[in-house]
Amino acid sequence: MKKILALLLALVLVLSLAACAGDTTTNDTTNDTTNDTTNDTTNDTTNDTTDDTSDDTAAPSGETISLTLWGAEEDQALLGELVEEFKAAYPDQTFDIQIGVESESTARDTILTDVEAAADVFAFANDQLNDLVAAGALLPLDGDIAQVLPAYAGKTLDDVKAANSAGSVEAASKDGVMYAFPMGGGNNYFLYYDSTKITAEQAETWDTLLEAAAAAGSKVGMTLNSGWYNASFFLGAGFSTVLNADGTTTLDWNGTSPDGYTGVQVAQSMLNIASHPGFLAVTDGDLSNQIASGAVCAVVDGTWDAAACQTAFGDGYAATKLPTFTCGEDQVQQACFSGFKLIGVNAYSTNAGWAVLLAEFLTNEASQTARFEARQVAPTNLNAAAADAVTSNLAIAASSAQDVYGFVQDVGGKYWDPAATFGQMVANGELKVDDEAGIQEALDLLVEGAGASVE
Amino acid sequence: MEERTGGFASIGGALGGFFGAIGRFFAEFGTAVVKGDAFVKLSLLWWGAGYARRKQFAKALIMTLLEAAIVWFTLSFAMSYVPKFSTLGTVQAEQVFNIATMQSEWNDYDNSFMILLFSLFSFVVWAVALVVWMRNVVNVYQLQLQAQQGRHVNNFVEDLKSYLDEKFHITLLSLPVLGIVVFTVIPILLLILVAFTNYDQQHMPPTNLFTWVGFANFSALFGGSITSTFGYAFVRVLGWTLVWSFFATLTTYFGGILMSLLLNSKLTRGTKLWRTMLVMTIAVPQFVSLLLMRNLFSNTGLINTFCSNIGLTGFLRDIGLISSSTIPFLSAPGWAHVMIIIINIWVGIPYQMLIATGVLMNLPTDQLESARIDGANPFQTFRHITMPYMLFVTGPALVTDFVKNFNNFNVIYLLTQDVYVTTDQFMAASQAREVDLLVTWLFNLTQNYYNYKMASVIGIMVFVVCAVFTLIAFNFMIGGNKEEGYQ
Amino acid sequence: MKRGRVKRAGRLLGHNAIIAILCVLWILPVVWLVCTSFSSYSGMNTSTFFPKEWSLIHYKLLLTPDTVNQFPTWFMNTFRIACWTCVISTLFVLMVAYATSVMRFKARKPLMNVAVILNLFPGMLAMIAVYFTLKTFNLTNSHIGLILVYSASSGLGYLIAKGFFDTVPRSLCEAARLDGCNEAMIFWKVVIPTSRPIIVYTIISSFLTPWMDFVYSKMILNAGISANYTVAVGLYRMLDKSLINTYFTQFCVGGVLVSIPISVLFLIMQKFYVEGVTNGAVKG
Repeated sequence: MKKILALLLALVLVLSLAACAGDTTTNDTTNDTTNDTTNDTTNDTTNDTTDDTSDDTAAPSGETISLTLWGAEEDQALLGELVEEFKAAYPDQTFDIQIGVESESTARDTILTDVEAAADVFAFANDQLNDLVAAGALLPLDGDIAQVLPAYAGKTLDDVKAANSAGSVEAASKDGVMYAFPMGGGNNYFLYYDSTKITAEQAETWDTLLEAAAAAGSKVGMTLNSGWYNASFFLGAGFSTVLNADGTTTLDWNGTSPDGYTGVQVAQSMLNIASHPGFLAVTDGDLSNQIASGAVCAVVDGTWDAAACQTAFGDGYAATKLPTFTCGEDQVQQACFSGFKLIGVNAYSTNAGWAVLLAEFLTNEASQTARFEARQVAPTNLNAAAADAVTSNLAIAASSAQDVYGFVQDVGGKYWDPAATFGQMVANGELKVDDEAGIQEALDLLVEGAGASVE
Repeated sequence: MEERTGGFASIGGALGGFFGAIGRFFAEFGTAVVKGDAFVKLSLLWWGAGYARRKQFAKALIMTLLEAAIVWFTLSFAMSYVPKFSTLGTVQAEQVFNIATMQSEWNDYDNSFMILLFSLFSFVVWAVALVVWMRNVVNVYQLQLQAQQGRHVNNFVEDLKSYLDEKFHITLLSLPVLGIVVFTVIPILLLILVAFTNYDQQHMPPTNLFTWVGFANFSALFGGSITSTFGYAFVRVLGWTLVWSFFATLTTYFGGILMSLLLNSKLTRGTKLWRTMLVMTIAVPQFVSLLLMRNLFSNTGLINTFCSNIGLTGFLRDIGLISSSTIPFLSAPGWAHVMIIIINIWVGIPYQMLIATGVLMNLPTDQLESARIDGANPFQTFRHITMPYMLFVTGPALVTDFVKNFNNFNVIYLLTQDVYVTTDQFMAASQAREVDLLVTWLFNLTQNYYNYKMASVIGIMVFVVCAVFTLIAFNFMIGGNKEEGYQ
Repeated sequence: MKRGRVKRAGRLLGHNAIIAILCVLWILPVVWLVCTSFSSYSGMNTSTFFPKEWSLIHYKLLLTPDTVNQFPTWFMNTFRIACWTCVISTLFVLMVAYATSVMRFKARKPLMNVAVILNLFPGMLAMIAVYFTLKTFNLTNSHIGLILVYSASSGLGYLIAKGFFDTVPRSLCEAARLDGCNEAMIFWKVVIPTSRPIIVYTIISSFLTPWMDFVYSKMILNAGISANYTVAVGLYRMLDKSLINTYFTQFCVGGVLVSIPISVLFLIMQKFYVEGVTNGAVKG
């Protein structure tokens, strides 16, 4: 009896709620349409949000293809235009394409929480590829699905691979299988500097760079407490990272590299840099703030902060590859993890064929050119990248100069925290340059922590 | 969601009372079955039988429909999940792409999480159905007794009316309890179960299956293998959580009382204005105010610039308190711990001030008066009259506050996320930091590492610690239930 | 005599000076927030207290929607969710409090004890299960789902209200009963009207939840449809690494605009709020 009453009441309440809230949601979105002129597609489709799963199942009739697409906030207007072009390219087919906001750097978190609810097509940074593949969230493009490209887009997957830079295709692949389309490059880091305070020659080595910054009463900013940045020293000295099949990461940083440097020597170089008065350790999220506040005259950063650097350094704005650092007796070129932005297709997408076509369309030469024009994202498409406007862009030129020393990011999830901690210890000066045993122990623990089994 | 308050009955009493009630319930049912007539016994099979016999046809119909609904639920829903409960699924997801339809086609794959969730859901529905079934027989037996003794048997309208009178509590409680069961009880039970599975990043549904592993996760926390540092991290995080809860509760509690005494003193001018200023700080959402605080105290923030300008930074470096060029307010252990507690004082005092103001308004004035005549100074009055009264009135709330602070997610998360990086390599290997509370650690484990199994184990430990604390605190403080005394 | 007056004046001054200093300390971060919101610079300025250049531009920007910011929509969404949450939570809390305080029935003690136990589990842990429960009923990415998350379990927070009801004189209820009132009428006509403080308290606390919560709302509104966001999710997203330089000041403006209605609510209801929480806390 209790139960009946409860169920009845619950039903009434839910129904009344549904009626009211359902109404208001629709009102809402219609109000917005007037405000938002840039991408009507978003608004057309938001009306369906209350019953979006039924959309997915309604598609098989072949009449309307429902797709959802996630891109970064700052990409929304561009994606709206590209989607319209995509629809125009396939006039025989009706589409209902919904564009949602999901930052490229956090896509993994949202997708892995619930793969089945995630968008059919989404943009993400290549450091998330391994996790997404391990969770089975990315559709492998080499299988049967590859047939749709010749059938509808007039090209093969091999054409796509050939059209994009080798590095970007490698970053979009795992174990030889391609999992995503390269959308843009330049997602690595290099050196911005103020050429009124630092000469191009001084920017070539850390020693001269730091001296010049200190002499100018300013600092060189870099993030040390992040495994993404601080790996650059070890990779430069010939060390490597290996991502194993079980998701664990094998590092050799506590031994001797093929180039003959020891991990301790690299850590000592990092400590020397970190303790220099001309050096400022900055946390990742704080970099742009430091640039804007004028606290630094040079900074290790990526293309996303190009505008901030340009404003802060004014006429002195310059960018180049990372400097060399003193390791043992030699000068060693600082390396980096190559970074790319990719567009992948959800493995649980129902309309997988059209999703692949959309993903390919959003990353083709014309789209990459449009993306460069709108957001200064370096194209990975070789033709688009050869354009004059691209090659003359300072930040992109520096990014590709650094990419020569770039490594594919072969690390698993357990790598990041231990690596960040090691960087923080260096930045805080908790390790001492002359305490080789202490450094060795820290490196051993770093290797052990990163190599722990994935749970 | 964070507003939940704990209670005052001790857990021991809670369990005792609970089992006692269950015992009585079964006894009643047994009596009904044994002593009931044929229709009461038939009610075991057909729920409406007893009512139909007493010509309560509306009730008979309702019970029959309910029985049918439960049978339908069992056959159409529960049976597709519950049989897989022991393995949590065996069929891996596989897909084929069909170029003709341009769609992916899937096999009928198992999703371990859904099996777990829906099985649990079914168990709860069945448990409720069992209670209704037994309760139904008892009711029908009571009807039989009433009819045999020639007493009045309620008709349907009278039955409905009783739900507004002596059974009004059922009307009142149905919906809230339903809400609590669906949104609190089932999720908690589910995550208790997850603690016994290997649900982690290597076993993420829908692509991968997870399964039962017994107590393996608990032994990972306590036994500690060579590669796992969970035990190491757990002890430290638990330690800081306890220290934090203790200081966060006491500082804001006494701070609030002092602030309230200050504001309500006869000497104060413009009490309302001051109080309004304090209350304003509550109105700013924490994710705004605490993020601002974080920037204010960051290594390159306003306070650090200020300290360095007045020479404090240099002074601290000279006496060896810091080694860096800035004061690591929120980025070094020790400093960060103290700062978090200080910032929490800023967050918590306005609330506590409001409560203390209200309680102190009811402070018996005759006692204060006689103390004044006896020549007690303000401190003595505070020590011997105000505090005992405050403690008597708000003591239980103090325990609740402790539990709340134990699970205080917002303050720690917003102040340290993205800015605090641990330098303890053992902690880092378990994705923990010195400033983490158990609750922020488990949040981090689920959100960034999908390590649901360890997060669940930690969640259970949080419960155990809170339960033990509450038990001790209440037995120590009030030694029994004083509820009825007040009425 | 004169010396005494000087001394008293000195004490008065010192006493009020201490309060003034404390209150200024407390209000300082809020002042900083307001000042920053009037800055003409869009990024994060952490080096000076007052902005270098004052401007209203970011108020204008925040109120004009673009692809990232749809503050007016978010505000209305949150307001609607808050109203519904408020109604449901308040009803639930009062219902549970009345049943446990005024009425006597067999399951009362066991239910209260179960509530105690449930309150000891960390809510964060249940998040993923709540999400999938909502998804089963197709309520993710909907405001109804959020309202349910905020209000469905609100019955567990009944203790303060119960404490308040315990102080309502039983003789009132008895008198009503003698007049032929049933329990439902006593609830509506006797207990509720005398409980204004606790109702206000419950309303305020439940109304605030949707404005403050960014964890649950971020998880449930995961389709990335900006027009569906609540204020907290929308503002929190402005802190994304790629957006913070353009949107930090707007984030502060958002913080100020959210705080204004809440402060007003608090100031108007302060008296009842204090009374409610106090009388409830005497027991609860």
